[in-house]
Amino acid sequence: MPSLALSELIGAPVYDPSGTTPVGKVREVAVVPQEDPHRVAAFVVKTRHGERLLSMKAVNEVNGGVRADSLADGWTPYGGGEGMLLLERDLLDQQIIDVYGRKVVRVNDVDIHEEISDRHVTLKLSAVDVGARGAIRRLLKGVVPTSALRTMMDKIPPRMIPWEFVDLIETDAARRVKLKIALDRLSRLHPADIADIVEELAPAEREAVFETLNEEVAAQTLEEMDPKLQVSVLSSLDSDRAADIVEEMDPDAAADVLGDMPPDATEEILTEMAPEERAEVAELMTFEEDTAAGRMTTEYMALKSSAKVADAIDMLRKFEGGLESVSTIYIIGEREKLLGHVPLAKVVLATPETPLMLLSSRHMPTIHPGADEKEVAALFDKYNLLTLPVIDDEGILTGVITADDVINMLRAKL
Amino acid sequence: MSEPRRLKIWRMRLLMLLAVIGPGFITANVDNDAGGIYTYSAAGAQFGYTLLWVMIPMTIALVVVQEMSARMGAVTGKGLSDLIREEYGFRITFFMMLGLIITNFGNIVAEFAGIASSLELFHISRYISVPVAGVLVWFLVVKGSYKSVEKIFLAASCFYFAYIVAGILAGPSWNEAFIATFKPPARAAFRDSAYLYMIIGVVGTTIAPWMQFYLQSSIVEKGITVREYRASRWDVILGCFFTDIVAWFIVVACAATLYTHGVRQIRDAADAAQALRPLSNEFAYILFAAGLFNASIFAASILPISTAYTVCEGLGFESGVDRKFSEAKVFYWLYTLLLIAGGAVILMPNIPLVKISILSQVVNGIVLPFVLIFMLLLVNKSELMGKHVNGTWFNVIAWATAVIMIGLTIAWFVTGGGS
Repeated sequence: MPSLALSELIGAPVYDPSGTTPVGKVREVAVVPQEDPHRVAAFVVKTRHGERLLSMKAVNEVNGGVRADSLADGWTPYGGGEGMLLLERDLLDQQIIDVYGRKVVRVNDVDIHEEISDRHVTLKLSAVDVGARGAIRRLLKGVVPTSALRTMMDKIPPRMIPWEFVDLIETDAARRVKLKIALDRLSRLHPADIADIVEELAPAEREAVFETLNEEVAAQTLEEMDPKLQVSVLSSLDSDRAADIVEEMDPDAAADVLGDMPPDATEEILTEMAPEERAEVAELMTFEEDTAAGRMTTEYMALKSSAKVADAIDMLRKFEGGLESVSTIYIIGEREKLLGHVPLAKVVLATPETPLMLLSSRHMPTIHPGADEKEVAALFDKYNLLTLPVIDDEGILTGVITADDVINMLRAKL
Repeated sequence: MSEPRRLKIWRMRLLMLLAVIGPGFITANVDNDAGGIYTYSAAGAQFGYTLLWVMIPMTIALVVVQEMSARMGAVTGKGLSDLIREEYGFRITFFMMLGLIITNFGNIVAEFAGIASSLELFHISRYISVPVAGVLVWFLVVKGSYKSVEKIFLAASCFYFAYIVAGILAGPSWNEAFIATFKPPARAAFRDSAYLYMIIGVVGTTIAPWMQFYLQSSIVEKGITVREYRASRWDVILGCFFTDIVAWFIVVACAATLYTHGVRQIRDAADAAQALRPLSNEFAYILFAAGLFNASIFAASILPISTAYTVCEGLGFESGVDRKFSEAKVFYWLYTLLLIAGGAVILMPNIPLVKISILSQVVNGIVLPFVLIFMLLLVNKSELMGKHVNGTWFNVIAWATAVIMIGLTIAWFVTGGGS
């Protein structure tokens, strides 16, 4: 399958059956993603009588100039690129997301495969060139003859990203919908990787990503981002969209971000949130950030003392919080007083009828809500904890601190 | 509005200003680097007060250009080389980056010239000072303790006040100085290619092409958005005024001391240090050397790394000192080579340090219009800037600056320059 580069197509002469002089030049290569995201749909040709749209169905040949099989006068006049992806304007030299490499890259050129089948040509986008090959080809185009250029290119190792691994970034919301730019591939990456990618983008592009990703993914990504950027992103979104995302975040992470924002912006987002989530977050926001209470989450698993292992597994299935808080299951008595704790591993190994209290260990490290961060870290280290319950003076369980919060805290000091 | 609330608003505004102070102020200070000090000193020594009229129009142009740069950074959130790449494609970006490397290289050479000549006043051979400084700067920037040292540099930049004081103590003819600040000289002066050369140099050192790229990137890196931009604007404007006031005093100090006593050419740092004589004889040298050294090392820590960032971002190479060498080879190589080559030029025998420094600033002035034109084309695009496109006056001033600089370069060439 022969391949050609986008930069070779742009500016190429276009011929129609009327003769051997070109009727125009290729100005743009258009793809209609809603119909077929891989196939070139048409060329925008600049002719003497204005710009025309030449559908690929009418193209016989692409090498050495584009040859159409219908007369130029019959082509539709070009009325703007609504609903079309124009490769020269929207792809070339722009930033795209390389999902495989998990970073943001700039497009130097686009590799296109040619499929010839009985007098008709199909052009398929195969890969994006982000390396030296594309760069040098763009630099020397028109200066060095095409054939010499091609032999030169073969000597340079290619750096390509297959089109399947590319996610486009589009800042215009209407166009995103029209062109079905949904960032599906990006969404499947680990939130920490998505956060890395998003941090490399300019604010407008970042906002576009957060408006496109679904709320859960957006929330997990936001949690992994730099605090300053978290604020910047939430401030740039509409308050109802921001609220949707904040609702999906871990309450302690949500409380941290909202706490860093200016008060009126925080108010706006809180009012848009569902009452239950709002109450949880608002409560956590009342605590000082560098105390035990400031680090704890209110989403944890707690069952009554009469519960059995089967009940625990049941609750586990319905649990909506983060995986980190699930490693220990807490047992509470009346008024939510902390009575015991059971590591998840023990739950998995026991039979369903075993009462939970039986599996609870007698020794239970706990911490007071007002305790200092250093105390928290010391306890985690001393008892090799994964989670640490926070109880007030009356022994009532108010929240749980998880290991990832402690690591976060320690890294900030390292 | 109750009193405490009003106070709170003012306090928030002040905090916001302090939080964003940096990019504009730092750029202004680095503006008065070795190239700057030598060029302003030579301007005063060679032409007395007759170049002072350039200061006011130049300051206006500087404020406009810097403001454009900062605005583009705040609105688009992208650096200047990124914008040029996205709007004008690879080839144009490539040539612009090439031009920038050459121009900035000249500036880097000037910084090393400053380091060499300032320490030579203390009898430290340049063959020691230059390599040591180069290695020091490399580690400072790459190993990342730059931020804390930045504060020391900024603080030490209060040396520039010495020039203001020297200028006053030199007992210049204030009358002449003030008249010269507002009244351009007779036509005949503009036929002197040396005079034109100096004007291009003075403008080139004040409105250096690298500054526009650096300022825009700093604004982006600091995360300053359109909302915080108002406060940033003041940082930029104040920086511009500060830098040009210092420049004015440098010219006046040298005019009053060197020019009036017949010392028309500055050959080395010792000559330039003479200008500080009025302050105190023995300390003139020390003050000058310390200040020049500080300015040169500060600029040497910013300019090469900024060039590496700009070029790599524009051409799509991985960049960043947080990356390992293997991940960002072009970036690290470019940075290291700029430092090594810059130092090497200074270590060549019989190299006229001051002349080279001034030449590098003249190159700045010649390249400036091209960068300006790109900036103007970009800042007027409503797809890019939304409602923050240039106002009419800004366009007029910026276009005028570009045209005048091109005109001056042609005039210089025609009147026998470059021979």
